[in-house]
Amino acid sequence: MLGFVIQRVVQAVVVMLIISILVFVGVYAVGNPIDVLISPDATQLIREQTIKAYGLDQPLWKQYLDFLMRLLQGDFGRSFVYNMPVIDLIFSRLPATIELTLTAVLGATVLGVPLGIYAGYRPDRFLSKMIMGLSIFGFSVPTFWIGLVLIFTFAVTLGWFPAGNRGPTASLWGIEWSFLTGEGLAYLFLPALNLSLFKFAMMVRLARAGTRETMLTDIVKFARASGESEFTILHRHVLRLISIPIVTVFGLELGSTLAFAVVTETIFSWPGVGKLIIDSIATLDRPVMVAYLMLVAFLFIMINLTVDIVYVFLDPRLRHRRS
Amino acid sequence: MKKILLEVEGLSTHFMTRNGVLKAVNDVSFTLHEGEIIGLVGESGSGKSVTGFSILGLVDAPGQIVAGSVRLQGRELIGMAEPELRTVRGREISMVFQDPSTTLNPVLSIGTQMRLALAAHETVSRQAADTRCADVLNKVGIPDAARRLDYFPHQFSGGMRQRVAIAIALLNHPKLIICDEPTTALDVSIQAQILLQMKTLAQDFGTAMIWISHDLSTVSSVASQLLVMYAGRIIESGPARDLLRIPNHPYTHGLLGSLPEHARPGQPLEQIPGQMPSLIDLGSECAFLSRCTKSDSLCHTSPTLRSDGSRRVRCHHPIAGDWH
Repeated sequence: MLGFVIQRVVQAVVVMLIISILVFVGVYAVGNPIDVLISPDATQLIREQTIKAYGLDQPLWKQYLDFLMRLLQGDFGRSFVYNMPVIDLIFSRLPATIELTLTAVLGATVLGVPLGIYAGYRPDRFLSKMIMGLSIFGFSVPTFWIGLVLIFTFAVTLGWFPAGNRGPTASLWGIEWSFLTGEGLAYLFLPALNLSLFKFAMMVRLARAGTRETMLTDIVKFARASGESEFTILHRHVLRLISIPIVTVFGLELGSTLAFAVVTETIFSWPGVGKLIIDSIATLDRPVMVAYLMLVAFLFIMINLTVDIVYVFLDPRLRHRRS
Repeated sequence: MKKILLEVEGLSTHFMTRNGVLKAVNDVSFTLHEGEIIGLVGESGSGKSVTGFSILGLVDAPGQIVAGSVRLQGRELIGMAEPELRTVRGREISMVFQDPSTTLNPVLSIGTQMRLALAAHETVSRQAADTRCADVLNKVGIPDAARRLDYFPHQFSGGMRQRVAIAIALLNHPKLIICDEPTTALDVSIQAQILLQMKTLAQDFGTAMIWISHDLSTVSSVASQLLVMYAGRIIESGPARDLLRIPNHPYTHGLLGSLPEHARPGQPLEQIPGQMPSLIDLGSECAFLSRCTKSDSLCHTSPTLRSDGSRRVRCHHPIAGDWH
């Protein structure tokens, strides 16, 4: 087990190095940030000073090595636009996104999996058909449209929830969180609901397909022949058997939502990193883009590593192969 | 004379398929005494497994028990409410399936699976449950069982896995175990071991068994009574020794003739020509008509099951005996 983790950490370092090269080259090969940073009528002197100050006069490989050295010291550079350390900028926004994403993905899983299991267990019931209808809706209707409808219905017309922004927060471990205050939860509700609908639909389908397949196996027949109750069969046998694909999708969805919650964050003016990356692409704020992409790659690697470790706990066959 | 344990009468299980009604089990009747081992023989699709599942009320949709009665010590099981039926399953009648690699849950330890089967019928402390599980595992021939409760199915060989499944079936000391080809998926050498062990266990526990198989020679080594099924019906039944010595139905005769041990060296194996008719459009004629060498005009009407006291046969032209 320990050997497996070490092996994966070494792999992760290699992957991060490769990504850092790709990201650096990709981002630095497009556009000229100087055109964005200083006004067109600035003097040649100011122009050259700015280029020098940001190290843009150096050859690309030198810029990369400098970047990598700074990276290793935990220095991601300063934002061209905000003129503050990128790391501070991203970490001031990250908790908002993490909070929103975790609420959405966890909520979708906690609700979607039991409903999916039910729909797979009793596929002909009216309720199951309703659940499947809702999941088709969640799959096919675009997120931005749902967001607008949610705002119009629950914020504008009914006035039950605020239409946007993050609202009051409370501090835990030195970080500001919305979910710790009642009002903050109200602000969190609509964007989290919006973001979770697609994931909910996916979890329902996954759980339903797995359950339908599992219910036909001899495992279920044998458990029934032993007199085990249907509830025991569903939550001890079926849930465990279908949990591996669910954990896989959970990890993937968590990663991609953390990285790309842009649409929902924009509609609900949620001050997260998604909004930040869109702004920095528009202004060619290269250090922010690079640091952000590196962070996303890092998050994906961490999530995948966690998922792989969870597999080992879920499937004993892997445990014995690896130990 | 031993007491009657199970009476099956006129049992019919049909599958309502898109192409019509598939009559998987048709008017099956037999009686099983306490501690008795009965063999249910037939080729694939003859309805023997469905008969087993019907007794436990575990027929999957679109299957349906359409007629008949199954009485366990006088209690009617057909139509019994599901919660009550669940107290019968595993505790009074349990089942062992063909392939242990598909019946045991690969992600739960065998201890967990055994405790679940135990907890389905009674509340026992963890420690008491573990002691009982280890005890039964030892009985079915798994050494060092207490330590192996934490093992997962993939850590056992095929034969050992089937022993675990048998242990689960025995766990609540049922009166009857339905064995649905429990040795078919195993090595021949293991088959004989398990067969002998189950026979001994049945004797020790006083458990009756219905041994379902397509393999006449396997069944005849454990069962005292044989039921031969063909196209969803019992076509012949009787004490195993008599039936094997003098088969009365042309189908049974053909089956015995096609056993490898009856072949002469250098000669091809005997076989029964043709195949079993589709169970969807069974006509009024004898189901074996198209494959039978002794058929005549009488065989266009379905024969009834006739009895001579200890043996039954469903044929207009039985090979021997005095039938009425």
